[in-house]
Amino acid sequence: MGEILQYTWGAIVSFVLAFFVGITYMGLSRIVTARVQNRIGPPWYQNFFDVFKLFSKDTSIHHGIMHHMGPAFMMVTAVMSLLIIPIFNGGSFFTNLNFHGDLIFLIYIMVFGPLGMALGAGQTGNPNSAIGVTRGLSQIVGFEIPWVMALVALMIQYKTTSIVDLMNIQAETGKWLMFTSPFAFIAAVLAMLGMFRYAPFDIVGAPQELASGPMSENGGKYLFVMMSSGAVFAFAKLTLYVDIFMGGANNLIILVVKTFILYMIPVLYGIVSPRYRTEQSVRFFWGWPTLFGLLAILQAAFL
Amino acid sequence: MNMIFILFAVLLGGALLTFFSNKVSGLLRDIFFLLTVLAAGVFFYLFIKKGDTVSFSLAGLNLQWGLNAFGWYFSLIVLGLSTLAAFYALAYMRGKERLGYFYFNFLVSILSMLGILMSRDLVSFFVFWEIMTWSSYFIVIYNGKNVQRNGINYIIFSTIGAYAMLTAIVLVYTNTDSLIISDMITSYPQFTPVLQIFVPILFLMAFSVKAAMMPLHVWAPDAYSNSPMAYSSVFSGALSKMGIYGMIIVFVTMISYLPDSTWFKEIFAWLGAITAIMGTLWAVSQDDARKLLAYSSIAQLGYIITGVAIGTELAMLSALFLAVLHGLFKGALFMAVGAIERQTGTVNFTEVTGLIRKMPWTFIASLLAIIALAGIPPLGGFVGKWMLYESLINSNHYILVIAIFFASTAAFLYCYKFLFGFFLGQEEKEWEHVKEAPALMVVPMMILAIGTVVLGTFPGIILKPADIAMQSLGYAPTEGHLWSMSVLFNEWGDQVLLKPLVYAIAGIFLFFLILLTVKGWKTMRYVTTKDISSSGEVPLEDENLTFSINFFQPFMRAAGPVMKKRMITYYREFGKAIDILFDFTRRIYNGNGQTYAIYVMIFLVILLLLKNNLFG
Amino acid sequence: MINDKNSQKIVDIIRNYARKHSLWILAYGTGCGAIELPPTMTSRYDAERLGVRGAATPRQADLLLITGYLTTKSLKRVIRVYEQMQDPKYVIGFGSCTINGGMYWDSYNTIKALDRYLPVDVYINGCMPRPEAVLSGFAKLQELIQDGKANGAKEYKENLKWYRDNQKKVITNWKMPEYNW
Repeated sequence: MGEILQYTWGAIVSFVLAFFVGITYMGLSRIVTARVQNRIGPPWYQNFFDVFKLFSKDTSIHHGIMHHMGPAFMMVTAVMSLLIIPIFNGGSFFTNLNFHGDLIFLIYIMVFGPLGMALGAGQTGNPNSAIGVTRGLSQIVGFEIPWVMALVALMIQYKTTSIVDLMNIQAETGKWLMFTSPFAFIAAVLAMLGMFRYAPFDIVGAPQELASGPMSENGGKYLFVMMSSGAVFAFAKLTLYVDIFMGGANNLIILVVKTFILYMIPVLYGIVSPRYRTEQSVRFFWGWPTLFGLLAILQAAFL
Repeated sequence: MNMIFILFAVLLGGALLTFFSNKVSGLLRDIFFLLTVLAAGVFFYLFIKKGDTVSFSLAGLNLQWGLNAFGWYFSLIVLGLSTLAAFYALAYMRGKERLGYFYFNFLVSILSMLGILMSRDLVSFFVFWEIMTWSSYFIVIYNGKNVQRNGINYIIFSTIGAYAMLTAIVLVYTNTDSLIISDMITSYPQFTPVLQIFVPILFLMAFSVKAAMMPLHVWAPDAYSNSPMAYSSVFSGALSKMGIYGMIIVFVTMISYLPDSTWFKEIFAWLGAITAIMGTLWAVSQDDARKLLAYSSIAQLGYIITGVAIGTELAMLSALFLAVLHGLFKGALFMAVGAIERQTGTVNFTEVTGLIRKMPWTFIASLLAIIALAGIPPLGGFVGKWMLYESLINSNHYILVIAIFFASTAAFLYCYKFLFGFFLGQEEKEWEHVKEAPALMVVPMMILAIGTVVLGTFPGIILKPADIAMQSLGYAPTEGHLWSMSVLFNEWGDQVLLKPLVYAIAGIFLFFLILLTVKGWKTMRYVTTKDISSSGEVPLEDENLTFSINFFQPFMRAAGPVMKKRMITYYREFGKAIDILFDFTRRIYNGNGQTYAIYVMIFLVILLLLKNNLFG
Repeated sequence: MINDKNSQKIVDIIRNYARKHSLWILAYGTGCGAIELPPTMTSRYDAERLGVRGAATPRQADLLLITGYLTTKSLKRVIRVYEQMQDPKYVIGFGSCTINGGMYWDSYNTIKALDRYLPVDVYINGCMPRPEAVLSGFAKLQELIQDGKANGAKEYKENLKWYRDNQKKVITNWKMPEYNW
């Protein structure tokens, strides 16, 4: 019983932390975008208003049970990956489920939510949603390849599939994996561009053509859960990158600095980019990123 | 009399009774059919023990039948799936023609599969293999549609496989003077090097045809999709596993004794991976659900073949686990397609949409089966995929693991297409009358789907018999260091503890589902799928807004280059080339006596010219 | 004070504060007014400072912006869009055309007064209103929201019959789902 309580408590604390950091990042990215466009932009806490407003919407509609459950699927992915990814180095924070799953479990749980949400979006009957979903799934097939290649390169180089072990190796040697396995890092960062769905890979939402795609029928509380899961998931993914490539973090400040630098890569790349067509996006990931992934595997296997 | 004889007598007698009682009454026929399947299952598990063998002599040949742990493991798939499919078939086949014929072949193919699993000598193995081919062939052409294309493809490839196997058997017999399989295995290391390579290749040809491996898969899409769905679930779920069964035996008992077997295994592993990739890509492009599942079966068997070919403990374990799991989810999916076919009359994604509210149980069964197929935790598919990846990474197959990963990621596309095409999307007036399928059809597929859920948390249920089966093949016991009831380990000692993960997933999901439901419960309401935000326009009743044609067009464009040529075109070109060759040979006989005289002259001249060389 | 009908509960104050700072607009750009929105949103006037941003679909939007005249044909779509939005929702009538018909005062196929058909919370005067005027309109709406006076949606529900009658008078081929909040 005590164990369950501890897990629950850890989950809640991690969730709240990820929620606040993630939402703040979304606000900051809006400011950055505004400054690039020579605007002032909203305050950094703007997205808290947005989220709270969505939560306090009075009415809501749904198109059936799958649509109703869709955001919950999305949340499972966000929270599960948050629980599996260690947030700080050396167990100085809740260990949550760090030792229960490994990288391959993580890869699979990360597509659980998008697929569940895709089912919800499918039930709305809105053709835009279905088109957005097909685009999103195609893009997943695109960026998962370099992403998995990078991870496999790390796994075979350090003979482990556990995230905690990869962090410990960095702590022991004092070298970040982004320097010892540079190709894997490049491939993973290029895959991250697709994962975060900023331009030019924002083909799923694409408000101008698809009316925000899979989310087009979600309003109020559904959009609230989607937005918060997006924030939590973004934080979890950034933490994962920091953990396996940038030596993890010992306290919140270092974590925030490192994740924010990483987060700026897709944001800044997105601001100055137009949008790809779906097949261009897929082929992009099968081009250079995959080549870097191959180089990473070669480096891990033969060096 | 030995129990094994009685089992076969029960099955054959039941089949004949079913066939002839068809003339008397339909009810009697159904009862006989069901009783035979159930009796065979009960009899098999109650009276036939692992290690039972019986030897007898027939027409001067020493034959031996028996059951070992490995065969017993595969009998789980055969009998489990066949029993459920038999119940399903009763409802599915109601009102169709020539039911006696169908049920007879159904039972005979169960008999032949059990026969293959229990054959301890090559002759009965071959005979049962042929019975299996023919009984399934008769069911493939049962519909009577496109017999030329579906049936002939299947039988030609099966015949090629059978000839290969027969050649191998003759080769073995001339070298060892015995037809008992264990004799062949013990004397295999003493074969000549050429024979050591040819015998397994010939056997593997036969087995790869049944397992639908590239490039011998050409028959599979048509054959799987054209048999009645009640049989397709057995066909794809259990019958194709016979190929895997044979492959495992060949790989473990022969290939691993080759002096340099790595390249052989590599080639097979890559063939499996290419099968998986191409099967998946073709499945994504299908609009017919049966075809989609058929290509998906090919792809899933590709994973299993890769696992078998790698052959480490973890890889073999994953192959055996995936074999059972594929039976579960593909059985359920074919049954779901059958249910939809029966209720709506079509299986085309572009025609039927929005069945989720009309056929909820079919939806739940296919949802669970699809999640298992996609390999997403917390369902059983993840366990098999995890073990396969880890075994590939642990055994230094780095590029292979990427290929397999690509195939299983691209599988999400057709998984979504299947669910969206049938169950989601706009609810059309055309399908308003559709009702849920009868319980006799829904219950078997629900049982199969729930099986995948249980195996997701407690894979040990199946891994234990798989482990015993592997031990009977000479592997070391793996319990404790590669798996336990709900924990998985890889060879580096990394672990996945399934139970807490599953509970966490369920807990998080329930929490947010309750949050979504309770918050604003009073002001939440259901709106129809016509009430969508489509630029302020209200779609009319008969306006179909579902997006289902060219569903994955952008992806197909991106993946297009690898799909330009189909294997069948190569076979056709090969056939044409043979045609031209024969046509040319035919021209020698032009019916003119003068020409023949010249041939004789030329022949004599050649003889004279080469006289010294030939007779000197 | 607590029982006073006009006072708000503390929850409402917080909610309204969030609502007023997060207005997601669905701009129904029928006439010339649509061209005033880009300058309002972009770097010169930057309405995002106030928490105003575009929404892609009515399900996500809070604020329906009617920029200019409405023909009877487009009125039907506007009503549909309005009814698909989630409570609380607000309407801003934008330009003279929505107030009294403006230069289309004698046109046979445009509606003259928008508030006969939809509950308008704020009107922005002008033909066309400049971005400054639009911003002041947003500010006025925010004020109303904070005071709990932007109750257009509630009004619409209460007087649905009156609105429906007016709507049906101009829209002859009325084929719409019922509004049953």
